Amino acid sequence: MIALDIELVQGAFRLEAAFQLDARVAALFGPSGSGKTTTLDAIAGLRTPARGSIVISGHVLFSSDAHIHVPAHQRHVGYVPQDVALFPHMNVRRNLLYGSHPGMSPDLDRVVGMLEIDKLVDRRVTELSGGERQRVALGRALMSGPSVLLLDEPLAAVDVPLRRRILPYLQRVRDDLKIPIVYVSHDRGEVEKLADVVVTLEGGRVARVENV
Amino acid sequence: MDVWRIAWFTVLCAAGATAVMLPPGVLIAWLLARRQFPGRALIETFVSLPLVMPPVATGLILLVLLSRRGAIGRVLERFGIEIVFTWKAVVLAMAIMGLPLLVRTARAGFEQVNARYERVAATLGARPLRIFLTISLPLAWPSVLGGAVLAFARALGEFGATIVVAGSIPGETRTLAVAIYSFAETGQDVQVFRLVLVSIAIAFAALWTANWLVERRAA
Amino acid sequence: MRPALLALIAALTSGAFQNVPSPKPITVSAAVSLTDTLTAIASEYANGGRGTVRFNFAASNVLARQIVSGAPVDVFVSADEAQMDLVAQAGLISDGTRVNLLSNQLAIVVPNDRPRTFRSVRDLADPAFKRIAIGDPAAVPAGVYAKQYLEKEGLWTAVASRIVPTGSVRAALAAVEAGAADAAVVYRTDARVALRATVAWVVPVAAGPRIVYPAAVVRTSPNVTEARRFLDFLHGASAVRVFERAGFAVLPVRAGAGPPRVPSRGR
Repeated sequence: MIALDIELVQGAFRLEAAFQLDARVAALFGPSGSGKTTTLDAIAGLRTPARGSIVISGHVLFSSDAHIHVPAHQRHVGYVPQDVALFPHMNVRRNLLYGSHPGMSPDLDRVVGMLEIDKLVDRRVTELSGGERQRVALGRALMSGPSVLLLDEPLAAVDVPLRRRILPYLQRVRDDLKIPIVYVSHDRGEVEKLADVVVTLEGGRVARVENV
Repeated sequence: MDVWRIAWFTVLCAAGATAVMLPPGVLIAWLLARRQFPGRALIETFVSLPLVMPPVATGLILLVLLSRRGAIGRVLERFGIEIVFTWKAVVLAMAIMGLPLLVRTARAGFEQVNARYERVAATLGARPLRIFLTISLPLAWPSVLGGAVLAFARALGEFGATIVVAGSIPGETRTLAVAIYSFAETGQDVQVFRLVLVSIAIAFAALWTANWLVERRAA
Repeated sequence: MRPALLALIAALTSGAFQNVPSPKPITVSAAVSLTDTLTAIASEYANGGRGTVRFNFAASNVLARQIVSGAPVDVFVSADEAQMDLVAQAGLISDGTRVNLLSNQLAIVVPNDRPRTFRSVRDLADPAFKRIAIGDPAAVPAGVYAKQYLEKEGLWTAVASRIVPTGSVRAALAAVEAGAADAAVVYRTDARVALRATVAWVVPVAAGPRIVYPAAVVRTSPNVTEARRFLDFLHGASAVRVFERAGFAVLPVRAGAGPPRVPSRGR
């Protein structure tokens, strides 16, 4: 359950978004510049709204009225940016374990098995292909034991055949780990394969919310 | 005069100065690269001041602050700590003259680190200190190391501030640069050339060591 | 960085840094041109069990600034009166301790391979001297003296276009030794130790500017007795021998102005 109602000004761009979602996978859909990534960053705690509130599963992450601003490192969100940003000075294993906490994180073997990256764990991240990088970044986010997964255009950087191969992994994460996902995309077809709810953003405002 | 003793003393002091300035220098560099805070421009200017001021002027300011009647020296004297005209003054003068080079180089290194890595690390639960130690510092390391070597090299050759605040006391505060000046002023050319050769050798050794360290990391 | 730090600490507790001997040595700030003579005199002083001296040798203007800024100095020996006056104006000279210790003379040197002996200073106007090095008259005391002297002799306008100002008097000498200048006006003491330059003309004491090295005890010295004892020793027979060997003239102590008398002045 995600309840969001924020105003965020960034230079000339103004985001005013409000929605409530109770979905396994919610997609933020819209053309580029519509405020999808900004919304995602606000949920992750990487941008601070001027006003409003963000509540996930009953936890208030941000509230301008109550002066609450939980810092990013205490939000327990699994965040995968568009360029995946694997730490280049660490190998795959150290990337995967960076955010893991004993007791809170899923089992490493289970995650690498599910994402089929078990043979990559001792590789350097510079040696990985685009699809491999996506899966390692996903694994890294999952290993932090997140209460929600935030994925920014996870399939934008990979070509169409690869997209078809990564999609099942995302579906597996959705079905096996039962972690809610907020998913940013500008591809309608992709959105319909994964999401239960689609929030369409246009020019910094919510245009509509639809069940798929 | 024992050339090797002067050289060894100079290298020790320069290494000590580098060690002393490294923690605050790296911290300042990171703050300037990543944080907005009141007084930022002031710190930025202040740190660069030794770069633009004549070294002798820097030495005089240190001297005025640290001498027995100075604002800091008066306090230190109560604890029995004397800085002026001791090796501690040599280390301090070297550290302050080297600091701008360290801060500027390291800062550029931190700025080149993609901020996304730091943001992702935060979402993975890392506190700012852990992000700094595991992400920012390792990724900026070649620049930090380069800055440290530059500062070390600057410290080796420091003259103007050193001679003012530490003096030129044979066997106590006389560094290579100060000794070269003294020998030149007393017409002892043979000693001058010996010291110059030793200085060149040390400078080469320092730069080669730095290159080797950077390349070994890159490999 | 830790091994380096440990090495530093290790060195501090061992021999790389001289341990301060007891009793506490006095600190003498002296003009860099006195390095050799004062070092020799201090070793005699120490051998006689009178006490230990640690020197701080630099340009006199730097030394004066240090003292005025509060540096811990017991005795100041300056290469010119102006710098001693600066310290005196700051009220930092111990009453009745200032003495004119030494005097120096100017000399004109030429390269070894083109030796000359002047009949008078006027020979400097010879067009063969295309470049004449002197300390920068705007900053270097030796340059100030050289300009004063040449003006007094009415030669300045004739040679002004050929003057090469240098950053120190040693640099002027070095220019001649390197063959970069055809002549230089330097101190007689410098000329004496030059290896590749020879003296063409020594400026007579009466004709030249008054070049005096004053010495005094610094008022803030915690070791006034020790400081005075060393100052006295500089006027003693053995010190005078060292100074004169180097080409300095040791000045007699003026009555009432100097430190307490020491028997047998040697002059």
